[in-house]
Amino acid sequence: MTLIQIADVLDAEVVYGPAGWKQLQIASVFASDLMSDVLMSDRDEMLLVTSLSTEQSIRSASIVGAEAVVIANNKTVTSGMIELAKEQEIALLCTELPKYDSCVQIARILEP
Amino acid sequence: MDPEPKKEPLQSSLRVQELIYGLRIHEVMTKQVFTATRISTMRDVQILMKNNGITGVPVVDTRRVVGFVSMNDVMTALEEQRMDDLVTAHMAGEVQTLAEEMPLSFAISAFNKFSFRSFPVVSKKNELVGILTFHNINRALIHELSRQLREMENQHDQVPEPVNLVKVYQMHRYDFENGGKASSEIKKYLKDRGIPPKVVRRVAVAGYELEINLVAHSNGGMLSFDINEKRVKISSHDRGPGIADVEQALTEGFSTASEWIRSQGFGAGMGLPNVKRVSDDFAIQSAVGMGTMVQAVINLAPAAS
Repeated sequence: MTLIQIADVLDAEVVYGPAGWKQLQIASVFASDLMSDVLMSDRDEMLLVTSLSTEQSIRSASIVGAEAVVIANNKTVTSGMIELAKEQEIALLCTELPKYDSCVQIARILEP
Repeated sequence: MDPEPKKEPLQSSLRVQELIYGLRIHEVMTKQVFTATRISTMRDVQILMKNNGITGVPVVDTRRVVGFVSMNDVMTALEEQRMDDLVTAHMAGEVQTLAEEMPLSFAISAFNKFSFRSFPVVSKKNELVGILTFHNINRALIHELSRQLREMENQHDQVPEPVNLVKVYQMHRYDFENGGKASSEIKKYLKDRGIPPKVVRRVAVAGYELEINLVAHSNGGMLSFDINEKRVKISSHDRGPGIADVEQALTEGFSTASEWIRSQGFGAGMGLPNVKRVSDDFAIQSAVGMGTMVQAVINLAPAAS
């Protein structure tokens, strides 16, 4: 699936989208508020869904090579997070949906 | 590297020589040629020159070059008021032509040997196919040299730089804002040098976990990256408080983290075990009241891992 499909079903605000973000391929989704767990993952083409709205969410995503982050649960995104997303070329999306509902919506994209 | 600096201009002139041997006349010449025929007058030629800004006009008969009218010929005819004469009365009858398949070096010799400003270019069948002026040569050389330079610049970009770096970062207690900066920098450094993404990721994860440990648990310290072509050695040294039971600290889930650290998304007791997991070599030493030293090595050369 592509990131634009995900943005659509989440009715997400795209806080920062690097060039070509819409067609970014997402092969796996990791949902966690615990960055330690994120850092243990070894998936590729990953999207991080989290309700932890801190710079470390962006940092952790970048460290494991995730190219997009969805901040769930209608959290405020700080300017520091946006700056970091730009610096690390990571797409940053924001949705009012809670984390679980976000995951459900994304999973429905993959249903036949 | 070279002890003789004089060699450099020789190298560049060799490159130009290579070019003038490599380029063929037909690649360089002007293909659109203005010509006259045996029944053209000198006035026709003069108008042709004036309208098209040219200084020489070949005279052709069924595509063969039978003569050449230069600017000089036109000026002489003007002076003698014989502009209505046919070109055959004024043209040079024996025309020096160049063959289109010749290398550019031949043309340059021809320009040196004869005082002509342009040469008609002919095919194997001896038919006129173009005209060559020095302007064509200059333009082709500049064009070709710039293309080669661009290529060299691009090649230079592609050659991975040597992997060699020693960098030390100071870390401060509870400075979560800067926790991760060092690892991001190192990650970029390795990525830019063509290290495989999976290996870069392991280095980044180990570095980042150690950074977070330093800001979350220590009184401050330093994190150093010692990188060569074979491996990345990450060392973390802090000023305390030290770990009472190292075995316990390496057990997944064991944590002494405060609520605040947990609110930052860490402190699940996974940090040190995760560093160990991604490292090829891992060592830890700690003493309460003294500090903690962690060393993680990640191999870059595939044979060694």
